[in-house]
Order: sequence, then C-alpha cells, then structure tokens
Amino acid sequence: MNVIRSLCGAVPGIALGIVLMAPSATAQFGGPPAAHGPRPRTTPESIAAGKALFEGTCANCHGVDGSGANGPNIRDAGTRLGPEALYQTLHTGVLGSGMPSFASLGEEKLWQLVDYVSSFGQPTGAAASGDPQKGKAIYDTNACSSCHMIDGQGGSSGPDLSKVGTVRSAALLHKILLDPGGNLPTGDDLQERAQYPAYEMYRVVMKNGKELLGTRVNEDSFTMQLRDESGNIHSVQKFDVKEIVRVPDKSFMPTYKGKLTDEQLNDLVAYLASLGGAK
Amino acid sequence: MRAAKYFVMVMTLCWALPSFAQVPYERLLHSDAEPENWLMYGGNYGSQRFSGLKEITPQNAANLRVAWVYQMRGGGVMESSPLIVDGIMYVTEPPSNVTALDARTGKPLWHYVPQVPRDFVPVGLFPTNRGVAILGDKLYLATIDDHLIALDAKSGVVRWNSLVADKADGYAITQAPLAINGKIVVGVGGGEAGAHGFLSCFDANDGKLLWQTYTVPRSASDPGADTWADGSWSNGGGTTWNTGSYDPDLNLIYWGTGNPVPDWNGEGRMGDNLFTCSLIALDADTGKMKWYFQFSPHETHDWDSSEPPILFNASIDGKPRKLVALANRNAFYYVLDRITGKFITGVPFAKQTWAKGLDANGRPIKLPAKLIEPSVEGTLVYPTLTGAINWTSPCYSPITGLFYVNARDGGAYYIKGERKFEKGNSNGVVGGGGGGSRPGPADETTTSIRALNATTGEKKWEYKMVGDSWTGTLVTAGGLVFSADAAGNFFALNADTGEPLWHLLLGSSVRSNPVSYSVDGKQYVVDSAGNSVFAFALP
Repeated sequence: MNVIRSLCGAVPGIALGIVLMAPSATAQFGGPPAAHGPRPRTTPESIAAGKALFEGTCANCHGVDGSGANGPNIRDAGTRLGPEALYQTLHTGVLGSGMPSFASLGEEKLWQLVDYVSSFGQPTGAAASGDPQKGKAIYDTNACSSCHMIDGQGGSSGPDLSKVGTVRSAALLHKILLDPGGNLPTGDDLQERAQYPAYEMYRVVMKNGKELLGTRVNEDSFTMQLRDESGNIHSVQKFDVKEIVRVPDKSFMPTYKGKLTDEQLNDLVAYLASLGGAK
Repeated sequence: MRAAKYFVMVMTLCWALPSFAQVPYERLLHSDAEPENWLMYGGNYGSQRFSGLKEITPQNAANLRVAWVYQMRGGGVMESSPLIVDGIMYVTEPPSNVTALDARTGKPLWHYVPQVPRDFVPVGLFPTNRGVAILGDKLYLATIDDHLIALDAKSGVVRWNSLVADKADGYAITQAPLAINGKIVVGVGGGEAGAHGFLSCFDANDGKLLWQTYTVPRSASDPGADTWADGSWSNGGGTTWNTGSYDPDLNLIYWGTGNPVPDWNGEGRMGDNLFTCSLIALDADTGKMKWYFQFSPHETHDWDSSEPPILFNASIDGKPRKLVALANRNAFYYVLDRITGKFITGVPFAKQTWAKGLDANGRPIKLPAKLIEPSVEGTLVYPTLTGAINWTSPCYSPITGLFYVNARDGGAYYIKGERKFEKGNSNGVVGGGGGGSRPGPADETTTSIRALNATTGEKKWEYKMVGDSWTGTLVTAGGLVFSADAAGNFFALNADTGEPLWHLLLGSSVRSNPVSYSVDGKQYVVDSAGNSVFAFALP
C-alpha cells in the first residue's frame, strides 16, 4: 500500500490526466440573458397554473407560500426583482447556491411561475387616504432619511423603504409609525425572514461588565455583530460574552404618536404606500 | 526511434507498477483496518462514519489549518461525501459529475461529466450528487437521470452504463451506491413525483440487474397492499433516496424508505401505507425482505425514514446484541435488533409535538389529529418539514459508545392541499404533494450537535449552534467530532464533552458530510462549503 500511495507524487501521470479533463457541463450559469418572447398577460388562470407548478417544484425549498423553508423567503422576489429578472433567475438558476436552472420548463411555464411569485406580497386593505406629496415633505422634514434609504438616498441603519409600499399595507404603516417596537416584522407573515429576523434588538452583557444594545446585523455560533443606536458596528466574540438577551418590542425608531397630527400621519402613510409603484 | 523506445520503457514501467485504486471486496469488508482510506459513503458497512485516525486530537486541534482548496467549475452547492483510496480522492459535483483529485494537494486528475439531459428537472429535490462507490478497479456513479455508471477508477472512462429507472416516472438519484461482494446496490428518489420506491442490485462486473425489490405494493396481491385504502398504493412513494448499510455476517442490507404519496394529505390513502417511512432489511443475494420496521405509519408531514442506519454491537441486559440505530426525521431516536427488526428502545432526540411517545413495539402514540394533521389554515407541529434530521449522516464511535447527530429543533405550519394527485414527470409537470408547510413562529429553528448514548438514546452532551445547519458529523479515534454551523463555521468538538476546540468560517454553507483520511502519515479532515472542497491538516 505504501508503494501505491507514493504514486500520488508521480506528477507526469497526473499532468496527463489534467490535459484530458472534459469540459464542464454547467455552462447554464453565466452568459447573456435568456431570450424570450413577450410576457403573456397575467390572468387568474396563469397565477393558478403557476401556483400548481410552484407547489410541486419550488415549495420544498421556498415553503408552500414562498415564505422560506430550506431555501430563502421569496415573498418579495416579484417586487424586488421585477418580472424580467425573476424570469432570468428561474431560467438560469443562482450560481453558488442550491437554486438550479428551470429553463427546461419552457417559456410558458416560467411566465406562469413569474405570475404566481409576483402575486406574493401585494398588501391588501384600504388605500391610504392622505396626500403623498405632502407626505414626502413630512418625510424630509422629520429626518427619516437619516436612517432609511429610498432609491439610493438616505441612511442604512433602518430598512430600505424604496419598495415599502409593495410589502406593507397602509394600515400597517400607520401602526408602525405610532408604535415601531410593537410592530416589528417578526410575526408569522414576516417577509424579510432569512436565516433570522433582521432588526431584532439584542442586549449583550460582556464578561467585563460592558453592555451593548443594538440590532443584530449578523450572528453565527462564535460571533455576533450588533449595530448600536448611532449606527456603529460592534463585533463580539461569544467567549467574551456573559449573556445575550433578545429585547422584544423595542426599536431604535421613535414613535410619531403626538408628534404628527392625524392628517400629517395620513399624508406620510400615503407617501410611503406609494413607494415601489404600488397603487 | 529513441522516443519510441522511451515510450515502450515507460509503458513497461507503468505495467510493472501496481495500479492504484484496486479495491477488492475484502478491503471493503475490513475497511476499519485501513483508516488512512475512506472506502465507502458511510466510512464502513455499518455507516458509522468513524475514522480510526489519531494524529489530530483535542490537544492540537486548535492548530488545524487549510491544507488545500479545490473549487469546482460549475454552479450549485456540493453535497458530496468523497472517497479516498490510496491517496486519490473521488468527489462528485452537481448534478452528477465525478472528479478525481490528488488527496495530498487537491489537484484534479480527471473529470467525468455524464450526458444529463438539459430538459430534466427533478421534482422535489436538488439536482446534486452525494458520492460514488468503489469496488475492484471501478467507481460506481448513480446519476440524477437514473443511470448507474461504472467508471475506470484510474481514468474515469466508462466501463458500463445501466438504466436504474425511467425519469419520466418521476425518478431521480442523488445518493452514493453501496458496493458489496460483486454487487452494486442503489435506490431511487422522487417521492414528491409519485415514484414507486425500490432497491436494485446490479452485477458489479457487467451492470446486469440481479434483483429489484419494491417498497410499495404494485398490485392488490402484493404484501402490504391491505394497508392502503382503495388501492391507493398506486400513488407510489417509499423511495430509497439515501445510502443504506450492510451486515456481511447476516448478509442483510438495511435501507430507509421515504414518504407515502401525496405527502401532506393522507385522506385518500388511509391505513399504515407499508412499507413507507420504514427501515427494511433485505437479503443481499435475493433482495427478499427479511424484516421491516415502520417508524411513522400513515405519515403526513414528509418525515421520510431515509436517514442512514448505523450498525453497532452492544450489550443489553448483559447480553451481546447486534443493533441498528436510526435518528429519524420524525425526531425520535430508535434502536432495533438488526437480526429480527425487533424494537428495543426509542426516545426523542429533538423537539417534537406530534407523539405522546412510543408503545412497547415502537409504534408512535400520536396526539389527536386536530393537533398534528396538516390543515387548510396550517397546523403548527414540531419538527419542521425538513425534519429533526434530513439526509446528513450521524456518526458513532466504538470508543465512546456515543451516537453523534446534528439535530434540528423547529416547527412548521403544515398545510393540507388538494387530494387530487397526478404523477410528476421530467418536464416539470408536477403532481404536487397535496400541501406543504410554511415556517413556524419566529422563535428560530436551531440545530445542535447532540451526543447520545447509542444504546439508550440518553443525551450525554449537546453543542448548540446558531441557525439551521445542514452538515453531517464525523467522529475520530483522536477524540474529535467535526461538523459545521449554518453560517459555514467548520468546527472540531471534544468527542467526550462537546467542548468547541477550533473553528474556521468557510464563507458559504457546508452541506455535506465530513470525512478523514491520511496520506504518508499525515491526517486530513475534509468537507465542502459552497462550491469548494476544503482539506484541513496540522502544520
């Protein structure tokens, strides 16, 4: 056996093997976008057909309602990506992930899947009654952009609001403005759920007595990254930690209860609900 | 002329040297005697995933470092458990490719890419591959489109190619085959497509089918047909999608079976639905079923029983016993007599809310249907749809007597869909599982490495991780357990205490079973993260 093992070092034989290696069969990844005809009209039938396809082909990884299982939550994929990018993702797969190409389903079925996935996350309920123009002015004068980003402008310590109107109903936006901590997206219908809910607040007590309060940016079995109220990042080694406690019902976002009139709140909600192109 | 003479001389030299990768059955039989190699999917015929290597210990594990990295050329995530034979590593890449690497350096030697049709989308599973088998001078690969292919281990050249099943019937294969004495045993996946489960056994030399045993009845007169109301056995299920184990002395093959069809709506298939969600023991020469043990009668949560069965011997009530242990997706850990299939013990190893316990025969005492059965609005039940464990392998150490499992604690809302079922096929027309699940409450699914007394299932220690890890476990004679967390931290734990000793963030999810080997006396531990294989060793 020793003789056999030493053959591994026989470089010339190995080099020959490298020359003879076959080309990879995974050219499906990369390359130009897939060509396709015009997108068929979305109908209740196409959404229903997409649903049947989804349940058989996608639900095992993405959950029966797209809210994630073994694979990520894709409830907002329709609004986040738009139909063209969604089609391309289905057609090509995602390099380096478990998401394969579904090109072989053919154009018609891919569009049906696009129709169904795009039907997720459309908030229901009454439309906002306020004036979005006035609401934008209120947004600007209240320094909301110091924490939130809209179309690339603003801060990043809070959620990006560029498409918030497509994933939050006017009624929920109204509730969040009055009680941010009490309406964190941690419920069963959480659309941002990935590995763990984002923007959850944690209190970390270090062994040296120091305390940190912040949102959990990232965490694994050995480290945790927290963002404090000033937006500073703290990287914590868990062997230095005495205690990690989740702080429920708390947000760094202030309440606007009593700060804005009912009319101003309605205008601000109308502005937010309009973001992302929703009605 | 001189060149020709030189060529003849080199060729003569090549012939004179023993060819590498000659693995007669005797070497497989005594695989524990050569811990420098990893000769089959489960490490040995008992699927113990125990490495006899001792160079890396709790005292020096903190010095582990990356020895080499091999990055595969395609997309997807590697789930392959490599073989290492005399310094050569054989690893598979999605969907069904094989690469031979120099196990000392990670340098590729050859690459085999089967012709997998582009129009094939398997139903309900990733198009990936979890490894190959070796016997004699051949490797055995089962492809996603249901071929069993024998390759020359030296060159990757095809020796024979046999069809295992028809992909148009929903079959797809991701598992490593099992090589025994002159035979190759392979199972099939496709439970969500209504595939009828079976195990097939092929002649290792020429690829001829020797026997085939179905796990679900195909006619009203087949055994078990009376456990499916109204002929619903015709729906199929009971697939055999993960690699099983073998006891050479008893000449029995042990294999787990998957869900009945449709998954989440059992109304049209009342009865126990034999032989789904079971462990079956088959005679290796004939394929005849010697015994079966059904873990989850009339299963409605997709909790397959396809987890690797681990064979071990231990004393119970002062008597030496031949045992088989299985940590089931349904969250119970079972110990059976592997001669008779008789239930010995069973306890939960992860959070479960569906059974009061197990009766004296190991049959679950289910809670009332309204608390546990999938419903239109969703019923919260633990464990999750992917289960307390899925395809990843647990391991067993004959030194500690412990069974190490990566256990998932989490729940899901199970949803009952339409009862109507149509068989799926390779063009993505899908029958549907009759429902599914959505994530449970926001208390986060977590995973822990748990060390259980293999005989009793009693927990000795646990190492709690953050997130939902999909990595198997490896235990070594050096006293270490290797696995990884959801973020991709590959780590070493003390096998006696669970104390973490070393970790390294590999930058992507680790979705495969670690293995260990040595080349020229140097021990390596290997696992893959994302699309790369990482080998670790001491400096």
